[in-house]
Amino acid sequence: MADLSKEDVKSLGQAVGIDMEEPFLTEVTYNLNALKELLEAANPPGLEQVEPLPIIPAHERR
Amino acid sequence: MNKTDLPFLSAAALGALIRTKEVSPLEATEAYLERIDGIDTKLNSYITVCRDDALRAARAAEQAVMRGETLGLLHGIPFAVKDQFWSQGVRTTGGSTLLADFVPDTDATAVARLKAAGGILLGKLNMSEFATGNSVHHPYGTPHNPWDLARHPGTSSSGSGAATAAFLCATSLGEDTGGSIRNPANNCGLVGLRPTWGLVSRYGMLAASWSMDIGGPVSRTVEDCALTLQAIAGYDRNDPYTAQVPVPDYRAGLNGAVRGLRLGVVKEAMHADFLNAQVRTAVAKALGDLEGLGASLVEVSIPLLPAAAAVTRAILAVESASLHHDWIRTRLHEYDHNVGIDFLTGSILPAQLYYKAQRLRELIRRQVFEVLGRVDLLALPCSSEPAPLLPTAPGLKSKEEARQRMAGRRSLTGVFNLASVPALSVPCGFVSVADKDLPVGLQLAGRPFADGLLLQVAYAYEQHTSWHTRRPPV
Repeated sequence: MADLSKEDVKSLGQAVGIDMEEPFLTEVTYNLNALKELLEAANPPGLEQVEPLPIIPAHERR
Repeated sequence: MNKTDLPFLSAAALGALIRTKEVSPLEATEAYLERIDGIDTKLNSYITVCRDDALRAARAAEQAVMRGETLGLLHGIPFAVKDQFWSQGVRTTGGSTLLADFVPDTDATAVARLKAAGGILLGKLNMSEFATGNSVHHPYGTPHNPWDLARHPGTSSSGSGAATAAFLCATSLGEDTGGSIRNPANNCGLVGLRPTWGLVSRYGMLAASWSMDIGGPVSRTVEDCALTLQAIAGYDRNDPYTAQVPVPDYRAGLNGAVRGLRLGVVKEAMHADFLNAQVRTAVAKALGDLEGLGASLVEVSIPLLPAAAAVTRAILAVESASLHHDWIRTRLHEYDHNVGIDFLTGSILPAQLYYKAQRLRELIRRQVFEVLGRVDLLALPCSSEPAPLLPTAPGLKSKEEARQRMAGRRSLTGVFNLASVPALSVPCGFVSVADKDLPVGLQLAGRPFADGLLLQVAYAYEQHTSWHTRRPPV
């Protein structure tokens, strides 16, 4: 997918009550696009079948 | 023994001399405070030194010895903690000016347990702002690596690494969200253990990422690491996610036995293109030493390991931003610039990407558990490189620079935070960079609650080598 523009990033900030100005705006755009690109590139088999659990349930710990 | 020599003892050795009344807790505490006065101006490892409280506690500890009272595991041992742990009556800054005046009215559980074991709190240690790992500006002074003052002691438990390596405390606590205990251990030539998530209470520890944070020891020897873990481990009703499991005697498990154990050597780490050649050689030599001690080596694969850094960063960014939401909106300019960038990114990361990161986390965890079903422990480099030079300027100049920050070495540690399993770094050699000898670490990781096995194998390796006996030139 295409990179987000600075305007996109500014709008995303406004949606959560943050008014992003320079120099933050440019750098957050770099940072967000880098993270987005890395996550979008990771598509291992079985990904869509996984239920995400943030921590290990107790019965699986051992 | 001269008083000035006392800081160079291990915590275990110092404890033994205190029990036999050959050294008093007061003498030991004074010796550490004098050394802090003499050296820490170069290192900035402490944010706050608790001089008066420490001397008061040391006098009480001395009297307890003289009265023949039953002594705790760490009786009279001067320790320090990352300034992320609440300390009753002592400011707890999180490495930030935003909390410059925050004075908790209670101790974090881990701190309370160290004190209950007889430990003497020397002070609060420097850290990357709010433990996020990318900060450049340290408002309480830039922490320096005792092996080379131009280099980083490691993020985010920077002071825990610098102070412990420079003999400015007998043992310390750090906190590890994506490698923040093991990275300073690697950079400073120490033993750092990220315990199993749920083994150590997070109560009273400033949070970065609720699902990955955990406190643990940063120590000079494996035995000291075991002693420190012993004091802090176990269920705490104030942290609902601490496990109700028995805490073994970690020190008793330090028997040197590795024969018959199967060590899984993670190929994605050993063959990573970002791995420094000298680091690879040092880790390979350490693995050969363990094989010589009777362990068997098996190559294993965690295919998603390279993605771990980005997944860790996505989850940390969102969880930490949610904790700081009000201040991000109203006091953004008071954060370190890089921390501000990370928090803003976490504030707006699209939900579907965060959800994907959580799915990737689960797959990574399954891959880690699958290999841990076939071997006893995993072995790999702790970091791709020795301590880097201290950064001089904040900010991102390109998307590519941002990509670099979210990849590489952080995958080597972050993978185990995502899997919630224990992982430890033990010194495995030195590499030469610009005529300076810099330490590097071997990382071991195990199944949940196999913390004792990690210590057992690390101890066997440590006793076979002499890396832990070298002193930094500070």
